[in-house]
Amino acid sequence: MEKLERREVIMMAGGALAGATVGTLFSGAPFLGLQWLVEWTQDQFVPAPGEEKYLQGRCLLCPSACALLVRMIGNRAVKVETANTGCYKPQLAIQMLYHPERIKNPLKRIGKKGSGKFAPVSWEEAIKDIAAKIDGLRSSGNATRIAAVSGSAAFASGEILKRLVRASGSPNVYSEPCLNTLSAAATRLTQGQSGSIYYDFENADFILSFGARLVEGWGDPGRMNKALVGWKERKARYVQIDTACTRSASMADRWVPVNAGTETVLALGIANQLIAMGRRSGGANFAQWSQIVINDYAPERVAEITGVGVDAIREIAREFASARNPIAVAGRGASAVSSSTVEFAAVQALNSLAGSLGRRGGVLLVDYAGLGEVAVNAAGARGLDDFIKNGAADLIFINEANPVHRSVYGKAFAEKLKKDTMVVALLPLLNDSAAYADYVLPTISPIEGEPVGPRFRAMHPVDALLAIAKAVKGLESAFPWTGRKDVFSLIGRQNVKAAGNFTFPVELFKAYLAEFSKKIGDKNYPLALLPIEAPMVGDGDGLALPYVLKGLDSVTLTGAKLWVMMNPETAKREGVSEGSRIDIESARGEIGSVKVHITKTIAPGAVAIPIGFGHEFYTRYAEDKGVNAKEIMSDDIDPISGAADWWFTRVKIS
Amino acid sequence: MSGQEAPKKKVSDMKRLWGMSIDLDKCTGCGACQVACSQENNMPIFEDDSDLPKRVVFLDLMKVTNEMDKGAKFGDVKVAYLPKMCMQCAGNDPDNPYPPCVSVCPVVATDIGDDGVVSQIWSRCIGCRYCQASCPYEARVFHWWKPVYEGSFKEGLNPDVSVSSRGAVVKCTFCSHIWKRERDRMIAKGITDINAVQYTPSCVSSCPTGAMKFGDLKDPRSPVYEEKLRRDPRAVRLVHSIDELRDTNPAEYDRRMKIKQFPNPKVWYLTGSEWLRKKLSVFEKS
Repeated sequence: MEKLERREVIMMAGGALAGATVGTLFSGAPFLGLQWLVEWTQDQFVPAPGEEKYLQGRCLLCPSACALLVRMIGNRAVKVETANTGCYKPQLAIQMLYHPERIKNPLKRIGKKGSGKFAPVSWEEAIKDIAAKIDGLRSSGNATRIAAVSGSAAFASGEILKRLVRASGSPNVYSEPCLNTLSAAATRLTQGQSGSIYYDFENADFILSFGARLVEGWGDPGRMNKALVGWKERKARYVQIDTACTRSASMADRWVPVNAGTETVLALGIANQLIAMGRRSGGANFAQWSQIVINDYAPERVAEITGVGVDAIREIAREFASARNPIAVAGRGASAVSSSTVEFAAVQALNSLAGSLGRRGGVLLVDYAGLGEVAVNAAGARGLDDFIKNGAADLIFINEANPVHRSVYGKAFAEKLKKDTMVVALLPLLNDSAAYADYVLPTISPIEGEPVGPRFRAMHPVDALLAIAKAVKGLESAFPWTGRKDVFSLIGRQNVKAAGNFTFPVELFKAYLAEFSKKIGDKNYPLALLPIEAPMVGDGDGLALPYVLKGLDSVTLTGAKLWVMMNPETAKREGVSEGSRIDIESARGEIGSVKVHITKTIAPGAVAIPIGFGHEFYTRYAEDKGVNAKEIMSDDIDPISGAADWWFTRVKIS
Repeated sequence: MSGQEAPKKKVSDMKRLWGMSIDLDKCTGCGACQVACSQENNMPIFEDDSDLPKRVVFLDLMKVTNEMDKGAKFGDVKVAYLPKMCMQCAGNDPDNPYPPCVSVCPVVATDIGDDGVVSQIWSRCIGCRYCQASCPYEARVFHWWKPVYEGSFKEGLNPDVSVSSRGAVVKCTFCSHIWKRERDRMIAKGITDINAVQYTPSCVSSCPTGAMKFGDLKDPRSPVYEEKLRRDPRAVRLVHSIDELRDTNPAEYDRRMKIKQFPNPKVWYLTGSEWLRKKLSVFEKS
């Protein structure tokens, strides 16, 4: 081997150094370093200044329409002031207003359905095409193949859409199940009247809630927050029957823990005691119904099924009977409500026995002023889930809703949307359902249009639907309004009215209770799946907003992993420990890889799972976080409301 | 700085002593305060804000339960929500009111103002994190990452609160920028008396049940008059049990007040729940 000269070694070293220098210069590293230096020494971003002013507005997310102020800096909205009224929802309006993934233009599908690939089109083109589809279906005698799904918060737009579809000749108008729609179905059956159940929380002095998480977003949250403060001041007694230690349960004067899905049975047990105290109802079929209650639902048997002690049942019945203005409240859940018609009837039966039906401080009915009914010569499905399972359509409107994620039939609905159906979605953000749309029409967020100016080419859904209605041939006379202002003045007014006579649906009771006994004894699936809701996430809508994600604790979601909760007793029996990863399986299927948090706030024999997670499409903030529990939840469709009663699901874990 | 000591502040000289009370029995845990705080104070938006180590918030809505108590079982347990922000400590010496964090800051990035509010100047902070270590409440957060506001989220930023850079400690200041805003407004109207100016922090004004109250601890007409809070059997402070001792055991009260850097927070919690009161007072057993 040749010997290296000292000179050569120095030259080689020099060459390497020169090479490294040139390489570094061309690599971009110095520029990156400079950028870091700037970042470390200077503030990154200075919000643009501007003239400060406050705009008055109203929150149009629910019928309460709470007043609010929007703080403006120049033309930027920076804060919503609610002055201790309403609920948390208006606080999120700015995040929604300036969400970077807001849909800017009307979109037309370019990829396969469900791929979420769209190209911008003009409003004119989209409206023309949608109206032509309606025209085509109407002229070929297929008008009944038009369907519409509105979200539970879609208020004015839900009314307009209902009118559009019905005036076109289709009965297929559906709303995502919520307290109002579910209780309205029960009211039609038991009281023969239109309208939803209206609990007079402001004047009641004993509130017995059957799993309705009254202070966690249930019903009309602004009204409930006020009512809660009123109860504390008036010393009204609040008793919460709940399967988990929720905040509602802890805020109540008394929490009655109950086995999952047995609220109806407990209501019958309390009715049994009320009858034993000599209480009677003047309702039709009371004699037959009371026979079932007296013979089959003695406190001892009810205690065995529900896990509530005999003494506790007697005590609750006594308290309920002796209160001046007692009300029993049905509709389980917080933002997401699921309940069977039988359960509404069983709970209303208590109100009937206590003489609370149809009076102040008791239980009334409420109608919201609408745009008037349009007669249609065809019968539609009973409810949304019934429609997904049994119905068919060639044109489906999805208005401020997300049934693909929220319904237990979501997967089936996605399949339906994938077929040769034209799907039109009206939304501010692309969600799991809109991903299957042919047209996505951008709508404005709650504080937009009024008082803050609309962004992009987004429209209020009422205006967008009016434009479509006007483009359809022969519907002019049904839509005499020029814009949303004309419509707003007509709708939303509450009309509280006395409840009529009460009819006990005896046959329905028998069928339900027979099915229930079968379900509760299922040995293959030993655990109950309890749905719970994380603050502000609700039934999934909140997840697109980063400030909602900031509120999740370390045992709800970490990274993309969702946590479920289990009692230490259950965990020991199932052989899992804190942080174990499990799969949950029901008769419907399996959801995978959730982490276990062990806590005594959950009943033994149950797995509690937060709902609203596991979105496939819903902005980068919500996508691929956790799993969607609705996929495996019970899909029994209530024969009256046509909505799935998903609350009570039996599962096993592995 | 050079050898010259700043004149001592005294609590008795303070024109205002802002404080807060939070009625936990009225708190439903809805989250309005947390969002209102984030919106007002330009909280950074990361791609995944459920990622805890990365998360920056001033107001933490903590879920508390008594399930770890001896003998607790399902059916008896309770849950409550605890909105927790900077407690604006005054320290144990009213003639020299220094909270733990102010005492350790080497660059005077944090200080106690003549309204009792513990300030923090993001751009002055060198990121040593001493204050974060000294804070008994974990109320201070460090920007490990550069605060990013993706795209149009920038439109919603409040110009009254500067956006922090990476490497700085940030914290709740009782929205003292709102007080400044209100003072400026009054001065523009020709009112220069500072005691005529009131303000409400963002979290307090957003609370739908009115569980949060804010005002001057020294003012008998304020909803948070300290003398009244001290006598309130429902009142409890984090690290508190000392307040109960003032009447029952004055000697022990004095001894504890002298413990170095007793935080003496200006945020009071109100609750009638015995378990929650016990949870909040860690001195209970000593």
